Amino acid sequence: MALHHAGVFFGLMAGLLAGAAFIMFLFKKKILDMHFDERQERARGKAFQYGFFTLLIAAYAYGVSDVLLGRWCDVLTGVTLCIALALCVFAVTCILKDAYLSLREKPRTVMTMFALLSTINLGFGGMYALSGDLVEDGVLTFRAVNPIIGAAVLVILIVYIVNYLLRPRDEEAE
Amino acid sequence: MKNLRMKAARAALDLSQQQLADAVGVSRQTINAIEKGDYNPTIKLCAAICRALGKTLDELFWEE
Repeated sequence: MALHHAGVFFGLMAGLLAGAAFIMFLFKKKILDMHFDERQERARGKAFQYGFFTLLIAAYAYGVSDVLLGRWCDVLTGVTLCIALALCVFAVTCILKDAYLSLREKPRTVMTMFALLSTINLGFGGMYALSGDLVEDGVLTFRAVNPIIGAAVLVILIVYIVNYLLRPRDEEAE
Repeated sequence: MKNLRMKAARAALDLSQQQLADAVGVSRQTINAIEKGDYNPTIKLCAAICRALGKTLDELFWEE
């Protein structure tokens, strides 16, 4: 059992390090960028506020559900669920205020990356579901982290695309 | 309140919202929001817009 826990720990650490290295690479290649103008900064501040309060409420709701229903998911899964919810609120608010992508980011590149990220994570989720590793003894295991992240990224992607399609083409008509 | 003076000054120079946005270092949506009166820019951005359009702050942003 200790060996299993050590394996999970090192697996998570390796995943986090790989993720951090990949994000650093994207910043270095200017695919991701953090240069926003003053209106975007203000809109993002408001969105961050909404995301923060969503995180507080979600974390509390998760705690209450654990007390009332008993353990229904691994703590890591529960925490990821709360963070994913808060991130979705933050991202959707930013998208609706035209403040999600910075001045230098290319929408097509970022959204293609999101589509890939979502597909890979949902694919892992499907794989775990088929092998029966997603739920053990009625408890959602830590393996559900992948489909949760995949679903959150998919929500952001869909909102971005719908918002883009519904926006008037003519700049003067906006 | 819409900023029609800014829109007129931009149109007089035959600049699109995107071209003005690039000139002052903001997004096109920000220029659009200022012209529509949905966003009040800081004095720094007002000054940058005035420089790009060759107008004074009074001419573009002062309301009687």
